[in-house]
Amino acid sequence: MSSEATVETAQGDGAGGTGEAGAADIPKPFFSRPGGKIFIIWLILTAIGIVLAFVLPKHTFPTMLTKEGSTGVTTVIFFTIMAAPVAALVYGIAAYSLLAWRHRGHPDEPPEDGPPLRGNAPVTIVWLVVTSLLCIVLLVWGLAAMAADNQSPPGALRVDVTGQQWLWTFSYPGTGVSSRSLVLPLNRPVRFDVTSEDVTHGFWSMSLGVQVDANPDVVTTIYATPNKLGTFTVQCSQLCGLYHAFMYAPGSVVTPHQFALWLFGHGATLRAASLDAKVKMATGQGGSG
Amino acid sequence: MTTEAAPRLLEDTPLPPKAGGLYRRQNMWVGLVAGIVLAFIGWLISHALLQGSNWGTDMVVTVTMTCWVIGFNAGVGTFNGPFRWLTNDDQTAEDELYAAGVGQGAKRYFKFCTDHKVVGTQYLVLVMVLFAVGGTLAMMIRTQLITPHSSFMTPQLYNTVVTVHGICMIVATIIMVTGPFTNFIMPIMIGAKDMAFPRLNAASFWVVFSAVPCLLAVFFLGGVNAGWTTYAPLSVQDPPAMDTFALTILVFAASVTLAGVNIIVTIVTMRAEGMTMFRLPIFTWGSMLGSALGLYAMPAFIMAMVLMITDRATGTSFYVAAQGGTGWLWENIFWIMGHPEVYVILIPPVAAMLEVVVTFSRKPLFGYVIVIAALVAIDALSILVWAHHMFTTGWAPDLSGPFMLTTELISIPTGLIFLCVIGTLWKGRIWARLPMFFVYLFLWNFIIGGVTGIYLSDVPADGLFHNDMFVTAHFHYTLMGGAMIAATAALCYWFPKMTGKMLNERIGKIAFWIIAISFQVTYLGMFWEGFEGMPRRVAYYDPTFLHANQMATVGAYALIIGWLVLLYDVIHSWRNGTPAPANPWGAKTLEWKVPTPVPLENFLVEPVVTSDPYTYGEPEKEAPEPAAKPAHEPELIPGGGGT
Repeated sequence: MSSEATVETAQGDGAGGTGEAGAADIPKPFFSRPGGKIFIIWLILTAIGIVLAFVLPKHTFPTMLTKEGSTGVTTVIFFTIMAAPVAALVYGIAAYSLLAWRHRGHPDEPPEDGPPLRGNAPVTIVWLVVTSLLCIVLLVWGLAAMAADNQSPPGALRVDVTGQQWLWTFSYPGTGVSSRSLVLPLNRPVRFDVTSEDVTHGFWSMSLGVQVDANPDVVTTIYATPNKLGTFTVQCSQLCGLYHAFMYAPGSVVTPHQFALWLFGHGATLRAASLDAKVKMATGQGGSG
Repeated sequence: MTTEAAPRLLEDTPLPPKAGGLYRRQNMWVGLVAGIVLAFIGWLISHALLQGSNWGTDMVVTVTMTCWVIGFNAGVGTFNGPFRWLTNDDQTAEDELYAAGVGQGAKRYFKFCTDHKVVGTQYLVLVMVLFAVGGTLAMMIRTQLITPHSSFMTPQLYNTVVTVHGICMIVATIIMVTGPFTNFIMPIMIGAKDMAFPRLNAASFWVVFSAVPCLLAVFFLGGVNAGWTTYAPLSVQDPPAMDTFALTILVFAASVTLAGVNIIVTIVTMRAEGMTMFRLPIFTWGSMLGSALGLYAMPAFIMAMVLMITDRATGTSFYVAAQGGTGWLWENIFWIMGHPEVYVILIPPVAAMLEVVVTFSRKPLFGYVIVIAALVAIDALSILVWAHHMFTTGWAPDLSGPFMLTTELISIPTGLIFLCVIGTLWKGRIWARLPMFFVYLFLWNFIIGGVTGIYLSDVPADGLFHNDMFVTAHFHYTLMGGAMIAATAALCYWFPKMTGKMLNERIGKIAFWIIAISFQVTYLGMFWEGFEGMPRRVAYYDPTFLHANQMATVGAYALIIGWLVLLYDVIHSWRNGTPAPANPWGAKTLEWKVPTPVPLENFLVEPVVTSDPYTYGEPEKEAPEPAAKPAHEPELIPGGGGT
């Protein structure tokens, strides 16, 4: 017998397991058949998955201070909701088969053989189509979110981020301010130009939703728009040697007014043409947000 | 073998006293002495010539450890075959029988032995030793992290422990199924007498064995700071331990390549009469496709490490930005190896698990061809996804979209394999024995590992989680909760055949429940750390992450207890277990139709295959025709058919 024939022999035999009604003339109601019971288990598990998708991130993530960070959290929630039905189906069938179809004879004796279901084309096709569609939805979601994150916004505040073993330096070009802590104004896009003085570091702040490596002799760029006041931590994410764990810096998102004050307080020089230009530098092209 | 004479066991063949030649004087201990002596000579010469030059210490370490590897393998007998072939004094049949272990009893397990079953057993012990080393290091890591600012380890030692834990587990998981189970089981499954290249098979084991001391030497040469991913340029600056680390990888990758070639050639050329490619048990396909992917991945690993060694020892600058190189080169070559490599780890245990699902559901494999197609698709896609490890590096941002696409596409064939698992369970006569317990644990864990993987495949979400404990938790769910648990199912399944003893199920189930529960505690704790934003590979952390870390550490302590109980069960049952019948599970693949213990060259009667092995519920397929001539032991003939 050829292998292809072997595989196709039993197709159509086990269509979804709902065909057990033949013995008694009256078909059993849907919910007392295996398919119906698994459907109920599936509904319950899916519901649990969706509840977890909303509850868990809310209680575990730090407060997101930027649009980009919130996008990341929304993505996690959305992907969990998309994955919940698939996971619930696998769990449901696995659990049901163990509970309902378990061999209950002598534990040392192999059970008699089960039905020779070698495949089921309709089920396989449906599975393939559904998982492919889910995959496309995830991809489109990701591409859209990525496009939104990568836009180079007008009037962005530029911050030069330099990593070295084992500290961060943040400088604000044009102001002469250079700091060990990162202070950002509210509601103004920020462009981080990131580089390293020695080995590869990772410029990462989960609350800001940004992460990009700091590579020696290369400048990498990432954008974020703070939309919430608060404090955060910049942490080196790329193992960078002995004191990698200590390579973090404090940060805060403040109002534009506080930000201007902070710049001056940290020795912003008046090398800029005028105070007006200075304020413009500090608060952004379109004034404060 | 003819069926005329009564079956004679090859291992009872009397050998002349000189059979084996040099093999008679070689064993593991001779190899250790030869390795140490040659390493010492290498050290003396390289030290005298090179110390004081620019590249001094790195070159000396590289030369010394290379000498160890060559000396050990010369001493144990790896080079005997090629050497005698080159000198036109090829091994005689008696030499071959000696090399296959005839007349040496338990001593053959400590020698260069070409019997695939001996090699499989050697691999099994080596894998357990590597897991023990890696597990001990994991406990050290979790102990350090039980408080935010622990003084249990220095940062230097911590980084080294993290590095060696990583590579030790990667090495162990790459060989954990193709080493023990493919070597021992696969030739019997396809009806072969041995592997296609038995000497190469023994060589692959002793070569990887000789890599282990190179790895442990890391602790005595200053330590490696860079993690198992050894990102350049940090790794270029590391102490000389990095040289021996790189050499470990070269030797290990060479062994995986030798083993992979052997496995593929064996499956393609050594199948019994009637064993067509589409009658092969699915584990055979998994071994072949996993090995094929290894043949793609390992050269990249070798290349990456050769450039690393030349950067360190001879002053080239492939990875040094200040001199025109780039760390991105390292990251690319490394992940071109690294992502296929996770499927090199995953595919063989998943295929082994499918055998377990079939046997304990008493049903044919659902969608045999679909599984093969899915595994081929995973093989093909996995070589196109490497840059999802580099979304946050700043390298080629325009390629993030395409790499996100290829990464998410892999979920489709992976999903098909899940379909085939639940399709096989569907209406099966689920026989809840210990191997099946681990299959269910695999399903539970791998779903969680897979779902958390799709967050990481997405560029914006990856920006939150990359290099965070979330990633650590995710890949432990896939590689440990998935691959290693599936391999444990395979161990419980094939234990009776490999050791001749039944594995004690009562102790095994105690171990199972400890492992199953504490695994969730450990790694859900680690997910919690990740959600809160704790970076991976840190020796100290902010006190806000305290509770999540304590949860993970407590879980990890319980987890190691679970594994120790299982280890006790394995050792205890191996020594004192009840003798196993030839086919305790009533399974239908060929390895269960040979006697236990399996004789040398496996089959007393050459098998002829008439159908695939999944004839559950279709007894008519098993015996399509009566035996043509009486066989001495008809039960040895698969499918009841004759010649």
